[in-house]
Amino acid sequence: MTATAAASTAGSSTNVPLLQADGVTMRFGGLTAVNNVSMTVNEGEILGLIGPNGAGKTTFFNCLTGLYKPTEGQVRLAGVDLPPKPRAVVRAGMARTFQNIRLFANMTALENVMVGRYCRTSSGALTSILHGPKFRREEKETRTRAQELLDFVGLGDSTEHLARNMPYGNQRRLEIARALATDPKLVLLDEPTAGMNPLETRQASDLIFKIRDTGLAVVVIEHDMRFIFGVCDRVLCLVRGETLVEGTPEEVQSDPRVIEAYIGTATDEDDADKAEAGAGHNSDAGKGSAANDAEDS
Amino acid sequence: MDTFIQQLINGLSLGSLYALIAVGYTVVYGILQLINFAHGEVFMIGAFGALTTSLVLFNGNTALWTLPVMIIGAVVASVTTAVLMERFAYRPLRNAPRLAPLITAIGVSVFLQELVRLNYNKVPFTSWNPFNLPDAKSRIPFPQIDVVTGPAIQVGGVTIQRAAIFTIGALVICSALLWYFINRTKMGRGMQAVSQDADTARLMGINVDRIIVVAFALGAVLAAVAGVAQGLQNNNIDFRMGFLAGLKAFTAAVIGGIGNVEGAVLGGLVLGVTEAMATQYIPGQFGGGPWKDVWAFVLLILVLVFRPQGLLGAKEVDRA
Amino acid sequence: MRIPNIPLSFVTRHGSKAWPLGLTGAGMLIIGSLLSWSYDAQVLGNLSISFNPGGLQRLAIALALFAVVFLLASKGPLVRLGQWADTALGLRALATWTLLFMTLVVVAITVEAGGLINVQPGGWVSFLGAMVLFAASRLVMPTETRDLAEAVLPGWVEILVIVVIMAGLLFGAAYALSLDDAWAFVLFLVFVTGMAVAATRAGLLSWLGHVTARHKRVLILASFAVAFTFPLTQGGSDANMSIASQVLVFAAAAMGLNIVVGLAGLLDLGYIAFLGAGAYVGAALSTSGFATIGWKPPFIVVVLVAGCFSATLGLIIGSPTLRVNGDYLAIVTLGFGEIFRLTMFNLDGNNGPDLTHGPNGIPAIPDLSFGSFNFGDTHVLLGIPLARFSNYYFLLLLLMAFIIMVFHRLNTSRIGRGWVAIREDEKAAEAMGVNIFGLKILAFVIGAFLAGMAGAIKAHQDVSVTPDQYIFLESAFLLAAIVLGGMGTIVGVLVGAVILKLLPEKLRFFADYRLLLFGLLLVLMMRFRPEGLVASRRRQLEFHEEDEELAIRAEGDIAEKVQA
Ligand SMILES: Nc1ncnc2c1ncn2[C@@H]1O[C@H](COP(=O)(O)OP(=O)(O)OP(=O)(O)O)[C@@H](O)[C@H]1O
Ligand SMILES: [Mg+2]
Repeated sequence: MTATAAASTAGSSTNVPLLQADGVTMRFGGLTAVNNVSMTVNEGEILGLIGPNGAGKTTFFNCLTGLYKPTEGQVRLAGVDLPPKPRAVVRAGMARTFQNIRLFANMTALENVMVGRYCRTSSGALTSILHGPKFRREEKETRTRAQELLDFVGLGDSTEHLARNMPYGNQRRLEIARALATDPKLVLLDEPTAGMNPLETRQASDLIFKIRDTGLAVVVIEHDMRFIFGVCDRVLCLVRGETLVEGTPEEVQSDPRVIEAYIGTATDEDDADKAEAGAGHNSDAGKGSAANDAEDS
Repeated sequence: MDTFIQQLINGLSLGSLYALIAVGYTVVYGILQLINFAHGEVFMIGAFGALTTSLVLFNGNTALWTLPVMIIGAVVASVTTAVLMERFAYRPLRNAPRLAPLITAIGVSVFLQELVRLNYNKVPFTSWNPFNLPDAKSRIPFPQIDVVTGPAIQVGGVTIQRAAIFTIGALVICSALLWYFINRTKMGRGMQAVSQDADTARLMGINVDRIIVVAFALGAVLAAVAGVAQGLQNNNIDFRMGFLAGLKAFTAAVIGGIGNVEGAVLGGLVLGVTEAMATQYIPGQFGGGPWKDVWAFVLLILVLVFRPQGLLGAKEVDRA
Repeated sequence: MRIPNIPLSFVTRHGSKAWPLGLTGAGMLIIGSLLSWSYDAQVLGNLSISFNPGGLQRLAIALALFAVVFLLASKGPLVRLGQWADTALGLRALATWTLLFMTLVVVAITVEAGGLINVQPGGWVSFLGAMVLFAASRLVMPTETRDLAEAVLPGWVEILVIVVIMAGLLFGAAYALSLDDAWAFVLFLVFVTGMAVAATRAGLLSWLGHVTARHKRVLILASFAVAFTFPLTQGGSDANMSIASQVLVFAAAAMGLNIVVGLAGLLDLGYIAFLGAGAYVGAALSTSGFATIGWKPPFIVVVLVAGCFSATLGLIIGSPTLRVNGDYLAIVTLGFGEIFRLTMFNLDGNNGPDLTHGPNGIPAIPDLSFGSFNFGDTHVLLGIPLARFSNYYFLLLLLMAFIIMVFHRLNTSRIGRGWVAIREDEKAAEAMGVNIFGLKILAFVIGAFLAGMAGAIKAHQDVSVTPDQYIFLESAFLLAAIVLGGMGTIVGVLVGAVILKLLPEKLRFFADYRLLLFGLLLVLMMRFRPEGLVASRRRQLEFHEEDEELAIRAEGDIAEKVQA
């Protein structure tokens, strides 16, 4: 484990629960993709969510953010029940990125982030048409804030680029900037380093610390175990839709069940790699799964 | 009671017509998620195909044995139209934004209507008119096959038109064949696989392009039969007949649950019966024939509000 | 138009001859045009008198002069221009269209005057000139050019350019409308298209785009000045103003529909019904003896009531449908259009209350009048009498300005961004907190509102309102204007509306084939240029998802808009 990671795990999270998911279950016909999963995220905490392919991690995110309506279970953010409506979730303060990048491809980076401000602004049709004072003020604020966020994630000079023209790593950051634009209390990152090279991966973990340092909590899904164990305060491992282990990185890392879960579901070399990654090796197995997902959506 | 049964039968025969056309919408939608607006025109061209066959081959002979040949003529015309349409209008737009094929469909629809209106009497498109086909700018009488359109049958107080029996019978036979095709043949199962997940089906070695063509052709066959049925029921056909029929059939497909073949049949029947009952039982000035199309539309809106997935459609979670 | 390229080796060998050859061709074209083209003085305006060129001959001279400019820009006094503009591509396009123009002239004289014999030597000289020019243009080598975005002229020159072009548009429009002869009209269209294509190929149009972006206000002012002066060019004739005001109603409706289709990406196939609803409100609340409602508010109120009524209908139709699935909207609106027509047809007193007089409609709607200004009267401005349709034209122009403002400002607001996001990726937009349903219904209802307003004016302009004015085909025409012109652009819709309304008026001989061609047009546009003639950059990218090169080229343009 690297020095920075050790330093950051040291007690920066509080014990005030921010997000409480209770017995979340999602069934698709006969398939139970998420089965009775409970999760608590404390304020200022970085929580890792791991599990083999198809374990239901993304589906769990979709349930939390209201993209899916969970079959059972309940999600509370800062003590308030969240309805399974994406818009309500975002307004309550939870934003996300997608495993298979879903930017607005034909908008510039700045515009993408400006769309993220949508839910925190309220100029209606009338003031927009009349260019009323509220419209001008909000428009200016939106623009400034979007620029700030692009600077924050390190895309300050890519403002004018179309999202689709940006390199892969920058697209991932842009998605994070867009999520941050909604003024969240908690961000959910779905495989933020999938397909990145080691340098980019390190930058991504720095960015996650930076986000946490502004007082936000982060939940991150990853297949790259070195990354997960380096960044997270706590790790939760899902297997076949159920919670297998939850604990500090050290606990999860040394848990034989985790290693077995990865080997048990391994059907090919790629998954076997992942099991090793679980034991501390670096691996970019995430790449493979990102490609898979991009195809089926 | 008699009036009720009478309207039920009227409704079922109307509904059978809608059902036959609706299958075409639903099959194509199930596979391509495309609303093929021009399907109404396929139906219309089926009717003209039958008429042409009768005029060219039988020259006014209306014996029962000509009917199967007319149906074959209708099917050939419809299937050709549908397959060409798929090949040249829709296939190039497979990966385009959704708006593109919808607008194309409108274009194809207008184009086909006008093609028939302006050129029907010019087949084979020269000034030489060997077949002496009538001008399609107004309604054209449709050959009345003796046995099928003869005097109506009276059962108690209920009048049953023979053409109605033909239409309902056609639906029954077509549904049975369709069921067999979809569930028992390799091609039919391939179709189901593609509508579940086209990409996976392709990986499994199914020729998706061919399945799509088959889907268009299948819809066209049923639409052609419907075209003949409509001609027999109404005694005449015109180039505009596809518009309203297509609209109604699409409504039927949505009511039944678009993408679901049984749903299309059920939806067609429900819509037909609703219309017939509305004509009879809605009292006052808003009842009767003039408003029946309006009530059909209201039904569509109600279904969209209360059961958007349709009667037989399963609620589906789209992948995020 | 794509002509196969000549082998490169041939071009490099003979490239040096292009310049003298081109100048020769242009010279022949000009000289020929000064001579007589046709024995028959009756055809295509008078082209028979030497040294007194008729309209078409002047167009030929203009084409030749434009070619000379290109040639001199590639080598000669105008090389500075050649550094910026792609003269080779421009010249090729221009020469191709010039040849087409001259060929059609010969065909037209032959057809109209009865025989090839009627073509005078001057005509042949011009024709040969066009051929020589064409050959020369194939030999011109393309050159490297600099980025036109950097070509900045002094402010006043740029403004002058805008003004000159606007004035050119004004004269062009007036001239086109004055052409009664179908051939002459077609030839004029070929001329305009050729000029436009050449300018586009040479990059002049994209330069103009940058210029107008720098001088937006001038552009807007100039456009409206031109539009307002247009009736004055008609010398008191109301015939063309009737066409012009119909074009305006059509364009206004298309512009409203463009908010729905172009901005929000929703397909509304029953839009004409909203126009119709507005028209019926306008008629029913008018002082016509056949009006069915006793309340006679001032016209301003009527317009607003009409807008609100249409918007309410939009809400009723849209709110169940837009919740479900984008595709259903198309079919539900299609159904709604039909139901609207049927309902208006039915409400005749026998089937439901007598609100519309059924198929007879509401006739004898009186002209509008504001105070002492009656729209039916002829008023004199600057010594030029302006009759009934001119009055409506002015009113419709105001409406148009309003709709354009709504369109533009919504497009460049938070709401517009939301629409783009929905078009791009609905699920992602939803996950970012964009109010999908709200924004869709907003577009739909605003579209309906604007159509309702236009309808109320249309009722007075048309004098009567009947159900058969509001059939599905009209909706399809509106859609076609957008598809042809350009989804999501203002100029595009104007171009599309003018083409679709003006062509059938001027080319009566193809009236019967109008719909056939129009169906074909929709299919071909979607296949080959789905973004329309005047494309919105973003729309263009959406329709060409695989085109990486285009994405890189378009980036600057889109960013420029965002900064503005
Ligand atoms: N909308 C849906 N309909 C049906 N099944 C679904 C749907 N969404 C997800 N699933 C299924 O749920 C299971 C869990 O998938 P999920 O994408 O959540 O896995 P994951 O843990 O994110 O895997 P990966 O590491 O590959 O991203 C899979 O079997 C998937 O096929
Ligand atoms: Mg996943």
